[in-house]
Amino acid sequence: MPYAPLKTVILSAAKDLLLFCAAATLCGTLPNHAQTPASPAANDPLLIAMQQELAREKELLILPGMQRPYFMEYRLEDLQSYEALANYGALTREEQGHQRVVRVTVKIGDYATDSSSARGDGSLQLAPNDNDADALKYALWTATDEAYKNALRAYATKQANLKRFQTPPTADDFTPAQPITHIEPLLKLDLDRAEWKRRLIEASGLYATAPEVKSFAGDVQFSTANMRGFVVNRYTVNTEGALLQHGYSGYAANISVGGQAPDGMQLGRENGTTSTTSAGLEDWPKFRARTLRNLKSFDDLRHAPVVDAEDYHGPVLFSGDAATDVITRLFIPNIEADRPEAGTTARTQGAFQSSFRSRVLPEFLTVVDDPALRTFEGKSLIGSFTVDDEGVPAQAVTIVNKGKLENYLVGRQPVKDFPASNGHGRAAPGQAAHSRAGVLVVHSSAPVPAAQMQAKLLAMAKEQGRDVYAVETLGGELAPRMLYRVSADGKRTLVRGAVFDELDQRSLRSEITAAGDDPWVAQTIAPIPQTVIVPSLLFADIAVKRGTEEQQKVPYYAPPTADTATN
Amino acid sequence: MMKQQGWVKCAVSISAVLGICAATAMAATQASAGSGPQKADRKTAAVVAAPKADPVLLEAMDTELKRAMADLGNGVPALDPRTHQPGPPQPRPYFLSYAVADSESVSIQAQYGAITNSAGSRQRIADVQVRLGSPELDNTHGDHRPSALTTLPLPLTDDRSAIARSLWYATNRGYGRALDALMKVKTEQQVRAKEEDVSADFSAEKAQAAMLPAAPKLSIDTTAWEGRLREISAVFRQYPDIYYDTVGMQTSNETDYFVSSEGARVESPNQVARLVVVARTRAADGMDLFRVETFEADTAGHLPDQKIVLEKTVAMAKNLVDLRSAPITEPYNGPAILSGRASAVFFHEVLGHRLEGQRQRGDEEGQTFTKLLNKPILPTFISVADDPTLTKFDGQPLSGHYAFDDEGQPARKVDLVQDGVLKTFLMSRLPVASFAQSNGHGRAQTGKMPTGRQGNLIVTSSKTVTDAQLRDLLKAEAKKQGKAYGLFFEDISSGFAVTTRRSPQAFQVIPLVVYRVFVDGRPDELVRGVSIVGTPQAALNRIVATGDKQDIFNGECGAESGTIPVSAVAPAMLVSEIETQRQSQGTARPPIVPPPPLSAAPQGAATPKGGR
Repeated sequence: MPYAPLKTVILSAAKDLLLFCAAATLCGTLPNHAQTPASPAANDPLLIAMQQELAREKELLILPGMQRPYFMEYRLEDLQSYEALANYGALTREEQGHQRVVRVTVKIGDYATDSSSARGDGSLQLAPNDNDADALKYALWTATDEAYKNALRAYATKQANLKRFQTPPTADDFTPAQPITHIEPLLKLDLDRAEWKRRLIEASGLYATAPEVKSFAGDVQFSTANMRGFVVNRYTVNTEGALLQHGYSGYAANISVGGQAPDGMQLGRENGTTSTTSAGLEDWPKFRARTLRNLKSFDDLRHAPVVDAEDYHGPVLFSGDAATDVITRLFIPNIEADRPEAGTTARTQGAFQSSFRSRVLPEFLTVVDDPALRTFEGKSLIGSFTVDDEGVPAQAVTIVNKGKLENYLVGRQPVKDFPASNGHGRAAPGQAAHSRAGVLVVHSSAPVPAAQMQAKLLAMAKEQGRDVYAVETLGGELAPRMLYRVSADGKRTLVRGAVFDELDQRSLRSEITAAGDDPWVAQTIAPIPQTVIVPSLLFADIAVKRGTEEQQKVPYYAPPTADTATN
Repeated sequence: MMKQQGWVKCAVSISAVLGICAATAMAATQASAGSGPQKADRKTAAVVAAPKADPVLLEAMDTELKRAMADLGNGVPALDPRTHQPGPPQPRPYFLSYAVADSESVSIQAQYGAITNSAGSRQRIADVQVRLGSPELDNTHGDHRPSALTTLPLPLTDDRSAIARSLWYATNRGYGRALDALMKVKTEQQVRAKEEDVSADFSAEKAQAAMLPAAPKLSIDTTAWEGRLREISAVFRQYPDIYYDTVGMQTSNETDYFVSSEGARVESPNQVARLVVVARTRAADGMDLFRVETFEADTAGHLPDQKIVLEKTVAMAKNLVDLRSAPITEPYNGPAILSGRASAVFFHEVLGHRLEGQRQRGDEEGQTFTKLLNKPILPTFISVADDPTLTKFDGQPLSGHYAFDDEGQPARKVDLVQDGVLKTFLMSRLPVASFAQSNGHGRAQTGKMPTGRQGNLIVTSSKTVTDAQLRDLLKAEAKKQGKAYGLFFEDISSGFAVTTRRSPQAFQVIPLVVYRVFVDGRPDELVRGVSIVGTPQAALNRIVATGDKQDIFNGECGAESGTIPVSAVAPAMLVSEIETQRQSQGTARPPIVPPPPLSAAPQGAATPKGGR
């Protein structure tokens, strides 16, 4: 029974050459289930304790009359973090943390139908920070008992639920993986705390001290700088025989300044630098310059006119920075394969569930997710990894080829037509693994030099006989932060208070008319590190409207000045 | 912020060490609510200098408060940006206060012989309170109490201008919220029927000026304490049926600064150290059983010796194992003794909370005792006071001690019940129909609006007998009522601890350790699954005698105004009638697989820090 799904793997994989190649290497050795020889580093006492307890539970864990688990996995996470935050030129928070957590996954049933649910299956326990094997085993034992009982309940519920539906699920619940041993060196938190504290304190105080900006210090309502570094070291063993020790690190420093326009509109500038190492972050002169840029652009925004009250429909040039936000929000969630709702015949969830082999982007764009890409233009990429969190080696996946959707990102939870993992099962700390992007790159087959992108925009303005728009940065909900009205003669006017409309999957497919040669690297560290690389994109038709957010009152009284504070 | 009135949780005996919330996310940066020492958010770590006497902070608070009072609502009305007409004049605050909690804390947790978390934290948090309108009717009226409060972290260093600007930011925001709430309050007053209690919203009090010495720098040998916690939690390795244990030590040194527009200027220290041991098991039939031991002192150095803690931990572990196999209780209606400790928890939960001033007004409140003022509510030989000025009782430290409450009022002893007659309530500056003044019991966790709360609740009796006599009285009473046995409640916990947090179990009590004391002289028999039927305060009227020794219970108490340290002191008491039934029990099986065998190597050998 456990090997039944294998046939499905090979058969359906054969339909697709690319996938077949991937699956063939995977399937070739699978039936052996041979014990992988332990590498020298694999005799870490923590890993050994985990293996011992797993073996014991595998033998003993059964409730009379009930099923044994067909799959168990132990994951120990060692989380180290540091965070510092400064406001108005003074440190307000400094924290460091060290915590270990075990996550135990127990699956009842078989690969075709098991106890798993959309929430993921498993239980969590605090684990000892001490390298105490007995206490670690005890935590695993507690979590295993809970996970098994939950799995039995979930399996019964699921069986009952599936009986309600005419159509069987469109894919298996879980896909086998060749057990591998993969040991990476342990990562350590490494940053110069004193120096970063100094930088945060100085950066958050620049609004009042730097000659270039202090003339409008009274209008700066908040000025915050923070830095965060964390390291996750993961130890994973499972009943298929996998043995993993890997991890990742992330460091980010951000500056956030803001206040209100005279009409009460809330305005803010918030951005920063992110890297896999603290050395990869911006140095102090650059971080200082970023802070001053933010302050000046905040002041520019305060004095900028509010966008036209009447709607605009027409060309908008998105910078690489803005374009990465668009791809991250509108594209990526839809190519990460998630199991569809039970009882439906959908392939996955999201906007692209029935877009396989359909065009989703213009023909000149290709999208590849390649976690093996470690650096790009000298930047170390935070989304890079070698083996995913389900023990599957990372693979480069061509998601979109010449505009057509050819692949989804898949973990060990298969979806229709994609029965094997392509190494994208990734887990946030303490969470179950889901299919997630790693290093996603949008390429153009006809990259347009940046200056020509600008020229194209101006040409459209001329041709249409009106002003057009260019956006440099976006805020949270794809709202423009730095948006310029551009006239045919090239004059740029910063405007505020705008929102986009009709920026959606349809506009990604049909409205992108050109892509630049200026790839922007966006790195996010939480919940799962991810790198997205996208060039500037010219959209032919997007709506720009005036936002309807309510305007708060401007301050009821003036902030203290250096003089009043010391009186 | 504060939940709706009527929402209450109380955890006099259990801190959130019970919750394993830390494991649910990036635990290292998560604060686990409601469990830290008073006002000390248990976020991890901190490396900044310790609190010290701090003229810069207090001066900056004072200066900025005066500036806010001078400028707020005092300028020319702002022009409306749309109409370019002057808007309506903004009201001046009639009251503004800045309360800053400057704290340093350390928190260590261990499970099953190993450290799971160990971290320090340093924080300065400001609570800015803005009141608009008048003391008779202001923006805090009714459900709008939280509208007065804005909470913000302050710089950890004495950077005067950054402190001032942070306070400005919070005050400006707070003023806006208060304006909004005041408008709502006024509208609601116009559309609603006259309130039953027409008391003012804020009492008039004398502003206090007191500069007590700041709390000293927190000094603790973390490595030694980690070793102690390993040893204590390792006790449970010998008890395979106890499937969950946690031992937590938290200590914090805090200095509170308070300035107000009334001219108050108070600096007062608060120190607390707490050691909590929690263990759980499950009977074969699925009944969940737990025990908690807490040890409290002002500083970690004053916590009991390791030997005493270990003895209590072993006793607790043995008791849990006994409870697993103890017979389940039968429905019972008859006499019972509450031990001093059980009695203290009982009085705190069942009486103390219901005497909080704010429970006497408001549409949502039970108002159990509102109409009973100057009437007997207890037997004449019982008196109850709350005295936060006491630092110790019988040589033992009391957690509910403070010098000034969180509204800057001096702590004072309040005689709540004299010779059985209800005399007053626990008052903050929120007046009720019968009392217009605070009696120094306005307390809150940082970030919450103060309400009337307990400090050190002291129950005294003029009708005392020895423990042996009390037992005899119990047997005699049982015999009289035709019962084969009476009950002895050795330990009880608050309802919050074992029920869902939002359940109506608030102020209820859950018996943890109960014995049958047989009339015929058979040895006492431990039973499990006892729950008290009906309103527990009925039992208060049926006290027939008390023991001659008062027992102390120190713990944390959670309610609308947050988690604060409290104490309760009471003698054992004999009640003529208490009705109990079998509690609804859990249904989960005990663990299926036995716990992992212990390795032969001496424990801690693999531990870099050692500790055993």
